[in-house]
Amino acid sequence: MKTDELIQSLSENVPKVASGAVTRRLALGLGLGALGSVAVMLAWLGPRPDIAEAVLTPMFWMKIGYAAATGLIAAALLARMARPAARPGAVAALVAAPFAIVAVMALAHLAGAPPAARPALLMGHSSMSCPWRILVIGLPVLAGAVWAVRGLAPTRLSLAGLVAGGCAGSIGAAIYAVACNETSAPFLAIWYTLGILVVSAVGAVSGSRLLRWR
Amino acid sequence: MLAGLAGEAEPYRRLLSEFSGLLRAYYARRCPPGLDAEDLVQETLIAVHTRRATYDAGQPFTAWAYAIARYKLIDALRRSRSHLRAPAEEAEALFVPAGADAAMAARDLERVMASLAPRTRELIRDVRIAGLSTREAAAKHGMSESAVKVAVHRGLKALGETYGGSASDED
Repeated sequence: MKTDELIQSLSENVPKVASGAVTRRLALGLGLGALGSVAVMLAWLGPRPDIAEAVLTPMFWMKIGYAAATGLIAAALLARMARPAARPGAVAALVAAPFAIVAVMALAHLAGAPPAARPALLMGHSSMSCPWRILVIGLPVLAGAVWAVRGLAPTRLSLAGLVAGGCAGSIGAAIYAVACNETSAPFLAIWYTLGILVVSAVGAVSGSRLLRWR
Repeated sequence: MLAGLAGEAEPYRRLLSEFSGLLRAYYARRCPPGLDAEDLVQETLIAVHTRRATYDAGQPFTAWAYAIARYKLIDALRRSRSHLRAPAEEAEALFVPAGADAAMAARDLERVMASLAPRTRELIRDVRIAGLSTREAAAKHGMSESAVKVAVHRGLKALGETYGGSASDED
């Protein structure tokens, strides 16, 4: 086909594009993925047994808040990375802001605790399984993110994959927080963050293959 | 582009048509052997069309569209490499347009030669580049053969001193 004919046929049918199409597609992918993650969490681990009392404690909400805030900022960053020629920009620095807050709280918590109690605060009782559970629960969200971003136009695939993984890991961590009964800020700062980083790494490594579009 | 997003066909057609010219120039310099530049132009136009929702009104159109063009080039290279097992060296063509070495050498040579006296320059060009014999050059310039040799030798030596290379003179 001649290029001129191609241009003619492309411009014959130009449906109006609604603004916000990128945001809607991302929200749909992440939302459906999150539903899948909730299903995985409920079927596999179930909510923590003491959920009725836990929702009255600030720590329950701090865990969800930390992960959800990171996830939202990462989603905003992902919306940028799904467009050609986009730069991460100032939003990239914001991603670390929730972590900074949690890290300060964790240090304060540690400093105020008697030395003998510190290892328990750091390690909790589920530190060895926590990051892996976040990985498994985050994977459905990652799949949704990959679906959404592939349908847009990322041009830096590994970076877009990293951000998609960070977003999916954070949302997965927020969902896992419903099942997890750890109660210390140092645990949150270390093991939740590690879980999010694991999903980010999966996204970064698979991004160049999974996010290719034609 | 904004008109295109709003669904106006004619300005959109003009935009695509104008951009296809830019794309042709873009790929002419970057398309490695074995890939069809016009195919890439068409693929990029299709991508610009189908992915136009990712264009952000606050962004320059060219930055957005060239990022797609670059992505399409890298994607095509990656595919041609995995399917055809084309040698990886061909990726060099991405960064250095074909013939650039020769063109740069010629330009450098012109600049270097300009530092010589006009007659010495002529002599070196005739004897060392055009390939005349010393006798032919002597006849052409109405000089004795030894005068030609001396002039060429001195000219090359001067160049060697100025540019620090090894403008060796083996007679």
